[in-house]
Amino acid sequence: MPDGKTLSAEEFVVQMKGITKVYPNGVAANQGVDFNLRRGEIHALMGENGAGKSTLMKMLFGLEQPTSGEIIVNGEKLELTSPSVAIAHGIGMVHQHFMLVPSLSVAENMVLGMVPRKSGIFIDRAKAIEITREYSEKFNLKVEPEAKVVDIPVGMKQKVEILKALVRGARILIMDEPTAVLTSQETAELFVELKNLKNQGYTIVFISHKLNEIMEITDRLTIMRNGRSMGVYNTCDVTKEDISRLMVGRDVVLSVQKDKAVPGDTVLKIRDLEYVNEWHKKMLDKVSFDVRKGEILGIAGVEGNGQKELVDMLFNFNVPNSGTVTVNGVNILGMPQRKIRELGVSLVPEDRMLYGIAAGASIEENVISDRASEKHLNNGPLFNMKAIHEEADRLIKEYTVLCKSRSQHVGMLSGGNIQKVVVAREFSNDPVLILADQPTRGIDVGATEFIRKKLVELSRSGIAVLLVSADLNEVMELSDSLIVMHNGQIAAYFEDTAGLTDEIMGEYMLGLKKQTEEEVRRACHD
Amino acid sequence: MTKRRQMRFTIIRSLVAILIALLVATILIFISAAGATFQDKLEATREALKQMLAGPLFRFSKKSGTAFEAKRLADILAAMIPTIFTGLSVCVMFSANQFNLGAEGGIMLGAFITAMAAIYMPLFAGLHPLVAVLLGGAVVAVVMLLPALLKTKLNVSEMVCSLMLNYIIMYVIKFLMNTYLADKSRGQIMSYAFRETANIPPIINNSVFSGAKLTWGFVIAILAVILCGLFMYRSRWGYAIRMIGINQDFAKYSGMKVGGVIVLSQLLGGFLAGAGGGIEMLGRYTNFSWSALPGYGWTGITIAILAGNNPYMVPLAAFFMAYLSKGCDLMATYAKVPAQLIDIVQGVIFLFFAAEQFLSGYRQKLVVKSAQEEIEMAKAQKEGI
Amino acid sequence: MLNFLKILATPEFFFSIIRISAPILFATLAAIVVEKAGFANIGLEGLMMFSALSGSLVSYYAGSWFWGFLAALATGVLMSLLMGFFAFKLKTDIILVGIAVNMMGSGGTLFLCKVITNLTEGKAMASTTGLITKSLCIPDITIPLVNKIPFLGAVLSGHNLLTYLAFLFVLLTSIMLYKTSLGLNIRAVGENANAASSVGVSVLRIKYIAMAFSGLMSGFGGAFMSMAYAQGWSQDMVSGRGFIALAAQAMGGGECLGGMLSALVFGFAQALGIKFSAVGLDSNLASPIPYAVTIIGLVVFAVVRNNRIKKQHSAAALAKSAEK
Repeated sequence: MPDGKTLSAEEFVVQMKGITKVYPNGVAANQGVDFNLRRGEIHALMGENGAGKSTLMKMLFGLEQPTSGEIIVNGEKLELTSPSVAIAHGIGMVHQHFMLVPSLSVAENMVLGMVPRKSGIFIDRAKAIEITREYSEKFNLKVEPEAKVVDIPVGMKQKVEILKALVRGARILIMDEPTAVLTSQETAELFVELKNLKNQGYTIVFISHKLNEIMEITDRLTIMRNGRSMGVYNTCDVTKEDISRLMVGRDVVLSVQKDKAVPGDTVLKIRDLEYVNEWHKKMLDKVSFDVRKGEILGIAGVEGNGQKELVDMLFNFNVPNSGTVTVNGVNILGMPQRKIRELGVSLVPEDRMLYGIAAGASIEENVISDRASEKHLNNGPLFNMKAIHEEADRLIKEYTVLCKSRSQHVGMLSGGNIQKVVVAREFSNDPVLILADQPTRGIDVGATEFIRKKLVELSRSGIAVLLVSADLNEVMELSDSLIVMHNGQIAAYFEDTAGLTDEIMGEYMLGLKKQTEEEVRRACHD
Repeated sequence: MTKRRQMRFTIIRSLVAILIALLVATILIFISAAGATFQDKLEATREALKQMLAGPLFRFSKKSGTAFEAKRLADILAAMIPTIFTGLSVCVMFSANQFNLGAEGGIMLGAFITAMAAIYMPLFAGLHPLVAVLLGGAVVAVVMLLPALLKTKLNVSEMVCSLMLNYIIMYVIKFLMNTYLADKSRGQIMSYAFRETANIPPIINNSVFSGAKLTWGFVIAILAVILCGLFMYRSRWGYAIRMIGINQDFAKYSGMKVGGVIVLSQLLGGFLAGAGGGIEMLGRYTNFSWSALPGYGWTGITIAILAGNNPYMVPLAAFFMAYLSKGCDLMATYAKVPAQLIDIVQGVIFLFFAAEQFLSGYRQKLVVKSAQEEIEMAKAQKEGI
Repeated sequence: MLNFLKILATPEFFFSIIRISAPILFATLAAIVVEKAGFANIGLEGLMMFSALSGSLVSYYAGSWFWGFLAALATGVLMSLLMGFFAFKLKTDIILVGIAVNMMGSGGTLFLCKVITNLTEGKAMASTTGLITKSLCIPDITIPLVNKIPFLGAVLSGHNLLTYLAFLFVLLTSIMLYKTSLGLNIRAVGENANAASSVGVSVLRIKYIAMAFSGLMSGFGGAFMSMAYAQGWSQDMVSGRGFIALAAQAMGGGECLGGMLSALVFGFAQALGIKFSAVGLDSNLASPIPYAVTIIGLVVFAVVRNNRIKKQHSAAALAKSAEK
């Protein structure tokens, strides 16, 4: 099935050969990746989060530079040191988070950085509008040149982004998950436009997880997993199941020893949670499930399918449109974080640098942030420093935080040790419920293993654990029961993770399969 | 980085900043020095620098030579009293990342309220200054509620609001003095004399310091430093203030009452500035005659920046500023260099202390060194297992 | 009371509002442009102090107001660029840079004034008022024809050159921000620096330009203070106008026209205060009015803004429920 050998090099507009990218923190995001683009094709770049697609594309657009390997565009070997160099060679990128200035008009955004002028300094607005119109008509991408970007719908914003790339002379367009923010109607429109561009000889890289879209619009696809390319295929030659199998899967299966769970009473009870985000996209759709004492409930899914929104609701970073969430019978929606914590809920946050730690404070100050007011750490109006030092030293030892002393600044630690500081705090405050959101993302193997073992140990001691993770390995190994989320819904519930295969998971994660409502309802243990 | 290495970096950085400021000062002194020839100017500059740098502690005279001067030391210590308080005030507010610049108006208002309590409130000695000062502090604390609440409730800039308050406070006090409170028998606008019971007495017999007035106010200021330090580093509220200043999202996620703590920091900042004004008033003056903002608030900001918002470092920074200020005064007297040189020196030191990237290359080296050591340690630990 | 109103209804009163607003207006425009570029310059007060000093001194030594005027502008621009260096290059918190400049602007200017006058005049002077004559000040301008209009003529004609420039600059700044490519870049950098840099706009360069613009405006404001509002420089003569401008920027919604109206409100408040003292009221009762008006203005602005945000939110919520 893999092709590429039969073609001569001239047919490729882009050749990326043996690309390896190692970040300064030691993470190897790409390892010997080959990636080729034929002129006038729509090429899907697929892979789970963290598979290395974004890194690869960032290098093609000049935002990052490869550690080794070469990039050849139109037969010329290039050093893409900045986006301007890439733009100059006809490469444009449409970012997932739009690079637009909201208060400026569409036309102004179009010409930003290359403003047509009259009398030397003035913006030639008529010209800007004319340029916008011209490109808009030429590529059949309908935009309103004079409207402010803040006022136009998301679909049109995306068109502006595409036009921005085209007006700068792009012949190769990189589109980073373009449909993630679009409604189905807008998506259909986009596809018509993309095919139109393709017919005019433009080359498009289409990054996506959505199998139906890939099958519909792309000519070839490259699948990435764990920083490596899993091969290049003609879209017509592969089935959705093939893709799913290639994309979702584990290279190394770490196994964590754990006894069978003996679930107790329900701790976290979620019913009919619904949330529509500010762009009117439904992110949570009738989500209902329970987490019981002594079990780890995992939530798997490709990122962006409602997991983030779900966790936000559980710690009052956001409020849902409807539905209920109770912890041991107490409604926690809209409750201040302090009160939620008093109920015994702990959160290992996804963004540990933003929420998890105060980088400029010491380890000791970071581990007591949730309990600084508690009696045993205070002596009247003052801290009981002895007790605090003991607590800090105990946690540092128990969680093997590698540091010089408890007074070392957390910001100076490595990623794994920072996360150990976070979990040391969140696991040690006698929680009844632990929300672990991507608890081991981007940290070293040692710390990962430690945190996973700790989670199992805590759950076996009778704590309810909700584990949200995009890491399939983690979520399948640790969970007693498992939920797969897709499109804001629970696509599947597995009471027992034994016997689950990557293949089955992939089919649910990518929306090829969906359980019936009754099957999903089993996640509620009423 | 280890604490020791961090400390070493901080000290070196501070010294370099001070050196740069002194260099700027030297150039300015040279320009302003009297003298027809280059040689004369150089000589005058040396003289001026000697006065500025050593003058605060030593008297130079042709007849009796160089001698230690206790009075000047006492003057410096006395000058530290109000700026220690404003320095502490700014420390507490800046620690919560609140750029409240109201210490300037706060110290004037505190001085005024305390003065009024000292004049019009009959109380017995001992209790009188205590009540008067506490009242001054409390009133300013209440006034600081305005910028604090406007910030937390409406997100109005506490900086602009507190700046405006400074002017309002100054004019209202001037109005009240002019219209109602001035002792009309005096040539200039000043209040009636404080009751004797309200005085804050000097610490040591005046003869020791040959007339210099160092009151118990100094001891209270040092006490305030210790209390403030304990509050910031040894209490849950000070801890919350610092954590909010470092990472407000983290503080909220950890379950702290962010809004309340931000208000608290400004209440306390107001109280410290107000109490400082009161102590200064009762220790140094016999009636209220301030007709403009005293400038202690701005010096307080410099001190807080120099002290890195650490209350324990405030006396050192305040001493440094008072020493410099005294040096500049002496230089003005003996070398005819205008005393306002202090403002430029202060500004330059301030800028370099606050500059994050100043000497960042050197810092980076230290960080890398630390990181390497950590890796070594990790290796050693693994091998140990 | 009626008498007092009569005093207010005079052309002199309206004339003074315009005159008093001018320096605040310059500083407000400075605040508006840096805010559009995404940061705040709270050192306007200090910049104006330095510009005021250099303007009056140079005009004295050069014997011409024009050179003094240019010196004031140059001082503002150079110092603001230095501020930019500390803020952007050495990563000093820009608020602290502003505080430092204000500190130096207060005592440091007096130091320089004394030193320079001592060098040239043989005695250290605490102000330059003794050196400056009317001819060394920026001239007033009588507008032909307009000055003949009853009432309005006395309000609009006879102002200082810089007063007219201040109001002209409202227009020019607005044009700069909204009609030129520079303005487009400034607004883009302030709103979404990533978007701007992704299409090759140098964010740092734009920030320096905005900073220099604020220095230029402070230069105008400073020149106005020492060469038009008063004859000569004296300590703390800017007395908070740089701070009021920050509030005027916020109250005016960050736009030139709004900023101008806010500046006029402060001018009105201050002119009113001066009239208060004219009828025998203590000027100290009137002097705090502009500062109090500033706080009230900020509160009103914040309430309006918060309500608007709330409305938007509820509108969004409505749309959500409609979708269901």
